[in-house]
Amino acid sequence: MSWRRLATLVRREVQATLRDRFTLTILVGVPLFALLLFGYILSTEVAHLDLGVLDADGSRASRELLADFTAQGTFRAHAFATREQLEDAMVSGAVSAGILIPPGFERALHDPAPGREPAQVRIIYDGTEAVLAGNAEGFLQALAGSYARGRGERSGADAAAGAGVGDTGDAGLDPRPAGIDVATRALFNPRLAGEPFMVSGTFGFVLSFLTTLLTALSIVNEKQQGTFEQLEVTPATSLEIFLGKLLPIGAVFTLDVVLMVLIAGFLLDVWPAGSAVFFVLISTFYVLVSLSLGLIFSATSATPAEAVQKTVLFSIPLVQLSGFAFPIRNMPLPVRWLTELFPATHYIRLSRAIYVRAAGPGDLWPEMAALFVFGALLVAFALRRIGARA
Amino acid sequence: MRMGRAQFWSNVLAVAYREATVLRHDRAFLSLVAIQPLMMLLLFGWVLSNEPANVPWGVWDQGRTAVSRGLVRDIQATGYFLAPRAVEGYGAGRTLLREGKILAFLVIPKDLRRDIERGRPQVQLLLDGSDPLSAARVAGYVGLAAAAFAVTSAPDERRGQPPSAVGRGGIDVRQRFWFNPTLEDNVFFLGALAAMLLTNFCLSATSLGLVGERESGTYEHMLSLPTSALEIVLGKLLPHVGVGFGLLVYATLGTGLLFGIWPVGSFLLLAFVTLPFVLASLSIGVFVSTLARTSAQAVFITVFFIMPSFVLSGVMFPYQLMPDGVRYVGYLFPLRWYQIAARRIVARGAGVDDVLVPVAALLVIFAALLVGIRRRMKPRLG
Repeated sequence: MSWRRLATLVRREVQATLRDRFTLTILVGVPLFALLLFGYILSTEVAHLDLGVLDADGSRASRELLADFTAQGTFRAHAFATREQLEDAMVSGAVSAGILIPPGFERALHDPAPGREPAQVRIIYDGTEAVLAGNAEGFLQALAGSYARGRGERSGADAAAGAGVGDTGDAGLDPRPAGIDVATRALFNPRLAGEPFMVSGTFGFVLSFLTTLLTALSIVNEKQQGTFEQLEVTPATSLEIFLGKLLPIGAVFTLDVVLMVLIAGFLLDVWPAGSAVFFVLISTFYVLVSLSLGLIFSATSATPAEAVQKTVLFSIPLVQLSGFAFPIRNMPLPVRWLTELFPATHYIRLSRAIYVRAAGPGDLWPEMAALFVFGALLVAFALRRIGARA
Repeated sequence: MRMGRAQFWSNVLAVAYREATVLRHDRAFLSLVAIQPLMMLLLFGWVLSNEPANVPWGVWDQGRTAVSRGLVRDIQATGYFLAPRAVEGYGAGRTLLREGKILAFLVIPKDLRRDIERGRPQVQLLLDGSDPLSAARVAGYVGLAAAAFAVTSAPDERRGQPPSAVGRGGIDVRQRFWFNPTLEDNVFFLGALAAMLLTNFCLSATSLGLVGERESGTYEHMLSLPTSALEIVLGKLLPHVGVGFGLLVYATLGTGLLFGIWPVGSFLLLAFVTLPFVLASLSIGVFVSTLARTSAQAVFITVFFIMPSFVLSGVMFPYQLMPDGVRYVGYLFPLRWYQIAARRIVARGAGVDDVLVPVAALLVIFAALLVGIRRRMKPRLG
C-alpha cells in the first residue's frame, strides 16, 4: 500500500464530493430535517386529548371531579347528554376518551356504607389509537386517585380513609387493597420528555441510512460513468480504492455528527449528558461500519436507482428493528436475537446511553465490543467484495 | 382539449396499456409489490410494539418481609416484567439504570407492613427516563398494582383483563378500551397498513417513471406522439391505480388471515375512500419526477417525502400528541387524511358521513397537484 497513491485518491474523492451540489445539500439538509422531524413526535403526554364527558349524576361531587379533570388544561372536554351521543362521537373519532359518571355517584361517595358498591366512575378509551389510550390510561387513573385523596383531605376525613385501609380490626391483614402509594422519579429525564430519546436514536437513523445511501450512490455513479474502471486500471490496489472512498466520506460524516450535536442542542435543547468527545469517537467508528455496508450494496447493484432502492428497502426495517423508535425488548424472542446482529442496534444503545444517561466507557464496554466485532466483520466482507472485482 | 372526448380517452388508454406492459416486465417492481407488503405485515403485526414487555427491573427490598415479597409478586404478575434483580443500595441501582441493564428500580422500605397498618404505605420507584414512553407505562403498571395490592391476596393474572382498581378514597375507576379491548398495538399499526403500503408504492412507482423515460430517451419519443401532457399523466396513473387496489385487498386479507383483524366497517366504503388517496399519492410521485433531473435524485426526494408522511401523518405515532406546528403540517400529507378515514372505517365501523371531510381534503390535494404537474410538464426537451 502506498500512502502517496492513497492521498491522491482521497483528494480526488473530496473534490468530487465538494463539486456535487446535491450531495452537499443532502449532507447538511437531511440531519437537520431528520432531527426536527423525529425530535418532536414522541410524546408521553396526553395533550390535546378530546375527552367526552357524560355527567349522569349532576351533583356537586361529580361537577367537582369533572372540573378537576378538565382543569389540567390537557383535555378538550365535550359534554354529552346521552350515552348514545358519546358512543357515536367515539365511533366518528371526535373524542378519544370518555368519562361517565353514573347516577348516585355523590351518594355513594359521601356514604360509603359497608356492603354497598363504592362510588364509581367509568372511563372508556378509543383503543384504536393504542398509544394515545395507553398514555391516557395512566393519566386519568392518577387524576381520579388525586381527586379522591384531595377530597379526603378537604373533608377532613381520616388520612387513612384510602380504600379501606386503616379500618380497625385485622391488624393490617385486611383483604381489601392496601393502596400502596408509589413515589415515582425518572432519572436522566425527569419530565419524561420525548426529545432526548428520539434525538439519540436519530443519530443512529441518519448515520445508518445516509452513509449507506451516499456510498452506494457514489460507487454506482462512477461505474455508470466509467470512471470506476479507470480507477481499476491504475496501479492503485483494491484496499487503496476502498480506503480512498471510505476516509473522505467518513471524515465528512464525522463533521455531520458534530453538526447534528449542535443542531440538537440549539434547536431542540438536547445536549449530550455524557462526554461529547466519546460520543463523536463512537459515532465515527459506526460511520465506517455503515459505509462498508454501503460499499457492499453498491458492489451488488448495476444502476444507481437499484442501489438506492436496495438501501431503502434494507435500511428502513433495519432501523425499525434496531430500537430507534420501538424498544427491542417488546419484540418477539427470535427477532430480539436477530437484532443483536445489527451494528445499528448496538450503536443506538450506545448513543442513548451516552447522550441521555451520561454513561462512560466503563459502563458500556460490552456494547462497544459487540459493535466493534460486527463492524470489523462487515468491513472485512466489504474489502473482499471490492478485492474480488479488482 | 383540441380533440374530441373519445380521442382523449383512447389516448389515455393507449398510454395506460403501454405502461402496464412495462410494469409487467419489470422484475424489481414485481418483487417490490409482492415482498414489501409481507415484510410490513410481519413488522407491524408481530414485531413492533409500544407495549412494554420483558421489562428488566431491580428491587431493593429493605424489609424482606412476606408483605414486600407479596408486592413484588403482584407487580410481577402483571406480566410485563422479567424476574426482578435483587439490588442492594441506591448506588447499585443507579449504576444498573445507567448501564441500561434495568428500566425500573423499586425501593421497598423496611417497615412497609407497619406503614400499611398506619395507613401511609409508600414505596419508591426510580425509572430510566431515557426511554420515556416505556418509563411512563411502567410507572402506570407499578402504580396500579401497588394501589390494588392486598396483603393477603394471591397473585392474579391481570394482564389483558379490563383493569379496575379501587383508588384511594374509594372511587372505583372502571375502564374499558373500545375497539381494542386488550389495547394491542398492532391494531393501531395494522389499521393503517394499507395506507403505508399504498404510500410507498404510489410514490416510488411513479416518481421514477418520467425521469427514467427522460434518461432512456423514451420521453422524447412520447412527446412526438399526438398525446397531450395530461393524457400521458393519466395514462401512466391508470395501471398504478389498479395495482393500488390490489395492494388494498392484499393488506386487508393479510391482516385478517394472519392476525384475525378484519375491517369492522364496509370494505366498499374503504375502497371508495382509497381512490382519491391513490390518485393524490400517485400525483405526488409524478410531481416529484418533474422536479428531479436524475433517477437517483427522484428516489431521494421520494424517500424524504415518504419519511415525513409516515412520521407526521399518525400511522406510526399518534398525531394527536404532536406539538401544534408539527401537527398542522401533517394535514398537508394525503396520508394523514387517508389514515383518519381508514381507521374510522376499519377499526370503528364508521359510516359514509364520518369520512366525507377526509375524502374532500384528499380531492383538494389531488386537484392542487394536477395543477402543479400541468405547469411543470410543459413539453420540454433536454
